[in-house]
Amino acid sequence: MIQSVDRAIRILLALQDEGVLGVSDLASRLGLAKGTVHGLLQTLAAHSLVEQDPTSGKYMLGPALLVMGNVYLNSHDLRVRSLRWVASLGESTGLAVRLGVLVWPDVVIIHHVGPAEVAVPVSEVGLSMPAHATALGKALLAFHPERRRLVSEHSLSRLTGKTVTDPKALEKQLDEIVTSGVAFEDQEAVVGEASVAGAIFDRSGQVAGAVALVVPADESGIDPSFVAAVRDTARGISRELGAAVWPGGE
Amino acid sequence: MGRLAQSIEANCDELTRLDAAIGDADHGINMLRGMKAAMEALSSTPPKDPADVFRVAGNRLVAVVGGAAGPLYGSAFRAVADALAASQKVSVPRLAQALRAGVNAIQRLGAAEPGDKTMVDAWIPAVTALEAAGTDSVRGAAAAAAKAAQEGMVATIPMRARKGRASYLGWRSEGHQDPGATSTHLLFAALVDATH
Repeated sequence: MIQSVDRAIRILLALQDEGVLGVSDLASRLGLAKGTVHGLLQTLAAHSLVEQDPTSGKYMLGPALLVMGNVYLNSHDLRVRSLRWVASLGESTGLAVRLGVLVWPDVVIIHHVGPAEVAVPVSEVGLSMPAHATALGKALLAFHPERRRLVSEHSLSRLTGKTVTDPKALEKQLDEIVTSGVAFEDQEAVVGEASVAGAIFDRSGQVAGAVALVVPADESGIDPSFVAAVRDTARGISRELGAAVWPGGE
Repeated sequence: MGRLAQSIEANCDELTRLDAAIGDADHGINMLRGMKAAMEALSSTPPKDPADVFRVAGNRLVAVVGGAAGPLYGSAFRAVADALAASQKVSVPRLAQALRAGVNAIQRLGAAEPGDKTMVDAWIPAVTALEAAGTDSVRGAAAAAAKAAQEGMVATIPMRARKGRASYLGWRSEGHQDPGATSTHLLFAALVDATH
C-alpha cells in the first residue's frame, strides 16, 4: 500500500463521516503530524477533492468528487441497463425501488425511484444501508464468493427489534436465498418498512448488484405478486447483462 | 384523540418538512391519514372508556399508516389501552404507567435508546415527568409531561441519528429536529388540551 495515497484517502473518508474538520481534528483522528495533514489537504484541494471553508478555515469534501460520482453512475453498466427495468417496476407497483451494490458491510444505493404516493420523494442515491438488515444486502451477500468470511468478520448491528444479529440465523437465510434467488427483510432496518430483493448476475455468472422493492410492512406479509415482479426484474436485468442462468430456473 | 387529530392536521406540513430533511417526506401525510381514520372509527363506534379510545386509534394507525409512524404509534396506543384496562377515571399514576407501557412498546419495535434521535427522545422525558408528578392534578401532570416532551424534541436537533431512516445520513442528520419527536410533542400537548 502506498502510504501517502492511503493517508489522503483516509482524510477523504474522515470528511465523509464528519462533514467538516480542521487540520488539528484530522491530525489527531489519523494520528499524523499537523504538517503532514496540511500538505495532503493542499494537494487534495489543488484537485478540488476537498475545499476549505473561508471563514472557519476547516475542510470539507470538494466538487470534483461529485463529478467522479456522476461518471461512476453514468458509466456503471449494470445501473445504466437497469434504469428502464427499475422505472417499470416502480410504475407497475407504485412502490419505491432501489438498486444497490455491495460495499461490505453496507449496500450503496446506485439508483432509486420513490413511491408513487410521495409527491417529492427524497433520493436515496449514494446512501449506504447496513447490508445484513436489508433485502438488497442479503441478496448480494448470499451469492458472494467469500460470504462466510464477510459475515464472520463484522458484528451485525441492531437497527430495530427485528434485525437479524445472529450470524448463524443470517447464514441460514442466505442459504435459502441461494436456492430461490430472492431475499426478504421485514422491518429489520427501519420500522414499518419491508423489502424483497433479487440478485442480478453478469455474464461471468457473478452477482453484480441487486434490485429491491420497498413494501410497507403489514401483518399479511409481502404480496406474492410483488415477489414475482422482483424476480422477473432481476432475471430480466441479468439476462440483459449476459447472464446465462438465474437461481430457481424459470 | 380529537385534539391530537386537529393538531396533526394543523402541523401536517411542518411534520412533512422536517421529515423531508432527514427522512422520506411522508410523516405529516401519514399521521394525518392515520388520525383521520382513527377519528372516523371513534365517531362511528363511540368508545366506552379511555382504554377504548387508545385501542381503536391504535388499531386504525397500524392498519392505515405507512412508514414507521403507524406501527410505532399504533403499538404504543394499544399498549396504553391494555395498561389502562377498564378504568373509567384515569389517575396520574395510572396514566404514567400506561404511557410507560406505550414507550416500552415503541422501544421493543424500534430498539431505540435515548440519544438515538427518535420519538423515544420525547416520549421518555414526558413519561418520566408524569411519573414524577405523583398524584397531582391530571392537568398539571400533563402540562409537565408536554413541557418535557417539548424539551426532548428540541434536544434532538443537534443529535446524530442512530436509528431509523435518518441514521443513513450520519452527521448530515445533525441540526435537524426529529419528526417523530415532534409528533410526540403534539401528542403530549393534546393530552393537556384533553384534560380541560
